[in-house]
Amino acid sequence: MSNILTVRNVKKSYRMGKVLVPALRGVNFEVKEGEFLTIFGPSGSGKSTLLHLIGCLDRPDDGEIFVDNTNVLKLSDDKLAELRLTKIGFVFQFFNLLPKLTALKNVELPLTIGGMPEKESMEKAKEMLRFMGLETRMNHRPSELSGGEQQRVAIARALVNNPKIVLADEPTGNLDTKTGWEIVQLMKKLNEDKGQTFIVVTHDSHIAETADRSVYLKDGLVESVKEAPWSGKQ
Amino acid sequence: MRMGKILALAWENLTQRKLRTSLTTLGVVIGITAIIGLASLGEGFRVEIRQRIEQGFELDVLIVIPGSFTAALRPPFTPQEVDGVRNVSGVRLVAALITLPQAKVYNETNAKVNAFTVAAVNFSEMAQMFGERFVPIEGDLPSREENDTIVLGYKACFLNETTRLVSVGDNVTMQIEIEIPKPPSTIKINKTLTVAAILGKSGTSGITNFDNWAFIPTETAVQLLGREAYNIILVKVSDIERSEKVATDVENVFDNPYSISVLVPIAFVRQVDRILAIVQLFLMAIASISLLVAGIGIMNIMTVSVMERTREIGILKAVGAKSRTVLAMFLSEAMLIGIVGGLIGIFSGYGLSFALSYVLSGFIQPQQQDTAFPTASPQRMTISPVFSLEWTIIGFIFALIVCVIFGLYPARKASKLNPVDALRYE
Repeated sequence: MSNILTVRNVKKSYRMGKVLVPALRGVNFEVKEGEFLTIFGPSGSGKSTLLHLIGCLDRPDDGEIFVDNTNVLKLSDDKLAELRLTKIGFVFQFFNLLPKLTALKNVELPLTIGGMPEKESMEKAKEMLRFMGLETRMNHRPSELSGGEQQRVAIARALVNNPKIVLADEPTGNLDTKTGWEIVQLMKKLNEDKGQTFIVVTHDSHIAETADRSVYLKDGLVESVKEAPWSGKQ
Repeated sequence: MRMGKILALAWENLTQRKLRTSLTTLGVVIGITAIIGLASLGEGFRVEIRQRIEQGFELDVLIVIPGSFTAALRPPFTPQEVDGVRNVSGVRLVAALITLPQAKVYNETNAKVNAFTVAAVNFSEMAQMFGERFVPIEGDLPSREENDTIVLGYKACFLNETTRLVSVGDNVTMQIEIEIPKPPSTIKINKTLTVAAILGKSGTSGITNFDNWAFIPTETAVQLLGREAYNIILVKVSDIERSEKVATDVENVFDNPYSISVLVPIAFVRQVDRILAIVQLFLMAIASISLLVAGIGIMNIMTVSVMERTREIGILKAVGAKSRTVLAMFLSEAMLIGIVGGLIGIFSGYGLSFALSYVLSGFIQPQQQDTAFPTASPQRMTISPVFSLEWTIIGFIFALIVCVIFGLYPARKASKLNPVDALRYE
């Protein structure tokens, strides 16, 4: 199976006032298509920064990132936006749904941005929400939904464009244990059913253990990569 | 992203913040109301003034005189020259006048008639040229054969409101002074004429007010003066807009075009119109300031809005919106404010101009007219606002442009946000 993502010697620093704080100090790893990978590590280890770089929301200071064999560093901002639109789906800790839009409209958003006709996009978004078990909540605004429901809406939004990679940044961080666990199971199921690659950032070792592979990040460097016993499925 | 969808989203965003949106829009409404109101009222004012001038002048009649009003640079016009003018293209009608020097008219009881000017004319030419103004209320205009007749203007017949000096059929005596070369002096000639007709009131204060004129047939004057030499040629043009061209062509009929004057009334009207247009533009420029203030209001509100919606912008970018999509979304909001504000402003602008014209016409008193004779009814000065499609379109586009220009800065700010920073924004 080919690599859907290659990260080579990626470095990124942040300026905090006058001090330059290194967040990533040369990260290397690969992700195969269809993998369920976690990036695991203590807070401040650079997990989220790495996820943002993989998700083309930001550019590294140094190194290379290949998404689906495309060197993203060579792409213009517009091309990056297009890549995010077509190949990457995001799930955030704080859901990041647009508060004024209904669940349905939130899920439709990537399709709308892509220029899909409304009738078609609505059908697709409905189908996605039904799949997530949210058929009765479609016309509710985020504030009228529970945390778990909101996160499911967010996952539906991430998946509606049928991206190759789904990136989740602490998707359970704002949910209670039970709901968080349900979300993880849902993502696992989606990964198995639809074959999409999932990269989940977490500081929760339980979640890390459910992954095919887990990249352990510490102080901006990959300290270890753990493979699950069943990962021979590849 | 489709433009229609962007607009729909922008509209949704605006309607969700009703108070803020309406206050921002109000600024645009006020600006456009002021501009359209002034344009419409100013236009109405210009129309009214033009009509007033048209009532006082025959705008399609050029006046050709030898030399200028103050000095005769050359002898009066010959019949050949008059014919030359008649043949100029664009000339519909020509009437040549001989003014009689120092003419005084006395009635049968030797009282002086109020005729300040006595002119010899061809009556049918004059009737054709001045239509409604050269119509007798008593008697008939003399035909070409009827020499030794006179037609009097309305005021020439009366001493005052109650005392009539002459009636149709009366004989009057006209006294003129004629210069004779040898020995150089003037002699007075008396001529008895029969009043053939009395003209109706001109109802104008312009140059063609004939109320104090007296007219005699050309032939009579030629006999008296011993020569056919005209002092004034009146030229009616077929197309008023081509007056200036006809005037030039008329000048060129003469051997020395600079020795004559052609008065073009429409040129005067155009000049007045131009001045009024400048005043109107000036007023509108002042009104435009309020639109600029509205623009700054838009910029202010949108900058705040961009800050408030930073996270939303981050989300949009994270799910794949391009910078220009974000730009378009925010610009659309500014544009929608411009469209709605502009449309409402246009309506209320015309509303305002109608209201103002109503109030103003109450203040403008009827013009003081000569009340001696109950002819023309006093006219009330009314300014009817004019609906001008041109100004409506300009006003609307102006609203749009101002909104878009002032929306550009905040919209650009939004579009340039770094997605990661935007998502982290609290």
